[in-house]
Amino acid sequence: MDRNQLIKWLKAPAKMSHKYSLHAVYFCTGCGIIEVPPSITARWDAERFGVLPAASPRQSNLFLITGYVSVKTLKAIIRTYEQMPDPKFTVGFGSCPINGGMYWDSYNTIKHLDKYIPVDGWIAGCMPRPEAIFIGVTHLWTLIDKGMANGYQKYRDRYKYYRANQEQVLGTLDWPPLLPIGDGNE
Amino acid sequence: MRIVEILVSPLIALVVGILFLGISRKIMARIHWRYGPPLLQPVIDIIRLFSQRSVSHGTIFNLGIILSLAGSIVVVLFLPIGRICPFESAGGLLVILYLMLFGPLGIALSGGEAANPNTSIGISRKLLLAVGYEVPLLFILLAVMTRYDTISLIGIVQEQQNAGWSVVSLPLVLSGIAYLLILPAILGLRPFELVQAPQEIASGPMVEFGGQFLALATIQHAFVLFIGIALFVNLFLGGAGDPGTFVLKMLVVFLLSLFINAAFPRFRIEQALKYLWRWPTLFAFVGLVIVVLTGR
Repeated sequence: MDRNQLIKWLKAPAKMSHKYSLHAVYFCTGCGIIEVPPSITARWDAERFGVLPAASPRQSNLFLITGYVSVKTLKAIIRTYEQMPDPKFTVGFGSCPINGGMYWDSYNTIKHLDKYIPVDGWIAGCMPRPEAIFIGVTHLWTLIDKGMANGYQKYRDRYKYYRANQEQVLGTLDWPPLLPIGDGNE
Repeated sequence: MRIVEILVSPLIALVVGILFLGISRKIMARIHWRYGPPLLQPVIDIIRLFSQRSVSHGTIFNLGIILSLAGSIVVVLFLPIGRICPFESAGGLLVILYLMLFGPLGIALSGGEAANPNTSIGISRKLLLAVGYEVPLLFILLAVMTRYDTISLIGIVQEQQNAGWSVVSLPLVLSGIAYLLILPAILGLRPFELVQAPQEIASGPMVEFGGQFLALATIQHAFVLFIGIALFVNLFLGGAGDPGTFVLKMLVVFLLSLFINAAFPRFRIEQALKYLWRWPTLFAFVGLVIVVLTGR
């Protein structure tokens, strides 16, 4: 740890700790989860970046969505996302959450994940290698440093937009709105 | 003077406990041939958890974790760390034996309020495990108290500094071995990691803990690590004259239990109980009988 970083730690301990302690919920939606075990175990060792699998959404602050998102899974994803405590960061992993990927014309998957929950970063590829996860993590560090990884604030501000999109796909949601639906009209 | 000791003693325990958490992650990584996280990763985690917004599940949820943490801090006040022991003439081992139950009880109360099925499984496992290791622990403490004819820990430490460590003195060697055998169960390390079991029941009692609550639970875990090992060092390795030597002895014992942690998979609860009530209890009981027969 160099002196430069020490000053940063003293200035903004919360931000720095969010950077270096990313406890992740790996949401095994599709084939992307295949790349996660090698990256968190001995071969690529994600723990040296502070990235560790969290046991439950309550304990985590990074949400990694790996693979295609079917309509049924979307419900679970939204519930998990809403259970995570702020501040939280979401990363879409693979082509499928970005634009549907090879399931672009499927009747049963959603195409753009960021219409339903805010996504802070994408890791493109089909499949991305584990190295890509670490490049994604370092990019996320930069975003957190600049204050640009603010998806959780966006979710709060534009909750009406996200809730409307969610209800459009899932029909009526069987849980009450997380936040008061204000005049956040997008 | 005593007020300074009351402040310093939990502080030492906190620093050493959190350092032990960091060392354990680093050493486990090295055993896996990984590079591992930085040594101060638990501190980073705790700062992160304190700065996160947390969800409470009710009054008992808030109070239980505080009860658990306070219980652990009070136990530390009764343990001699080198020469530092704020309450040296007040109850000694018997008080420690009672107060050690507050840690798991507080976590159980707190987790029970959250009403998650994983929590219930974790709590029932924790209490069963406590029943498992309390039986040999009672035999061990009885043997030590009978041998040195005192319940004061500082007295036991002084006797050992005159007459040699009790783990190598003949009547107590079996009790010492029994304590080493139940040490992983007290610390919650593998093969007795079944209470937390992140891959199986999503960290058991802590599954609904987030933010500050998980930070407090981590600190409580650090205290538990400190208490379990410090008790062994005081009872069997002759304590120490100064805190530095004491921490060094603790580190050796902790490394031993870490290597066991790295090499073994997890027991199921009935396997754990079968083990705990067979070998450690047998050793502890025979040790007690020997101590009673040989006298002081």
